[in-house]
Amino acid sequence: MMTQPYHSSPMPTCNLSVTAAAIRAYAELTDDFNPLHLDEEFAARTPMGRVIAHGTLSLCLMWQWVHQNFDADVFTGLQLDVRFVKPVFVGDLLSAGGQPRAGQPHCWDVWVRAQDGSDRVAGELRMNQPHGQESGDLR
Amino acid sequence: MTLQTCAQPVLFEHFEPGSLMGEHSETYTPNQARRWQAIFGNTAAAGADGPAEQASMAVVMMMRAYLKVVAPRPPGNIHARQKLELHGMPRPGETVRTAVHCVAKSMRRERRYLELRVEGNGDNGRPIFAGDLTLIWAA
Repeated sequence: MMTQPYHSSPMPTCNLSVTAAAIRAYAELTDDFNPLHLDEEFAARTPMGRVIAHGTLSLCLMWQWVHQNFDADVFTGLQLDVRFVKPVFVGDLLSAGGQPRAGQPHCWDVWVRAQDGSDRVAGELRMNQPHGQESGDLR
Repeated sequence: MTLQTCAQPVLFEHFEPGSLMGEHSETYTPNQARRWQAIFGNTAAAGADGPAEQASMAVVMMMRAYLKVVAPRPPGNIHARQKLELHGMPRPGETVRTAVHCVAKSMRRERRYLELRVEGNGDNGRPIFAGDLTLIWAA
């Protein structure tokens, strides 16, 4: 597979349109049927005001971003540290992305953002050196 | 106390830092793969049957273990922060046993903060992931 230095080109984002069906499918995947994610009437009575997606749905989108931008071997040894900054709602169009952190060759600032540009998940991703290379290599 | 058999919601006062709260096993089944693919896509480019799906299964197994072990939960908990380190990738058909520990609890700005540690091991005990959930507990 052709690789290039991780800092030489912009990173494509990875996108997901959040639908009620996607949230239902994720509830089945995780066995998390909290009504805050599934019941509009219940959610309307909470401070959220409406149904929100499971926070870790966004983590899976972040893994998809890693998959689409790096070689598979970077996954082993990955260290992710993120905060769930704001809730994700039905109708949001999420984009997972990241950029290398200046001065820290194995560290990336990563995020999942909504269509309004606001961070919904944000934090850092640290990679081990794959096969003795300097850092995670872009596809 | 055995949290899994507690009929009342697990309250902040019940958490004992330093304790093993319980363990839970999950298998990476074809059904689980289909559920992931229903959300994120079923192509190789999407990461289906590949690293994005596998890394997501680590997240799924972590959440399923937390939800099974710490139950029932009071409504309104907030998942505020997530650290996750991937030591290996779950393989299709593999069963991962996840231990859930209470690491710490504290009051900050009148909020009940919990730190839970989850550690997943697959076939023959091979390490799959270790994670730290920061939760703001509702009651």
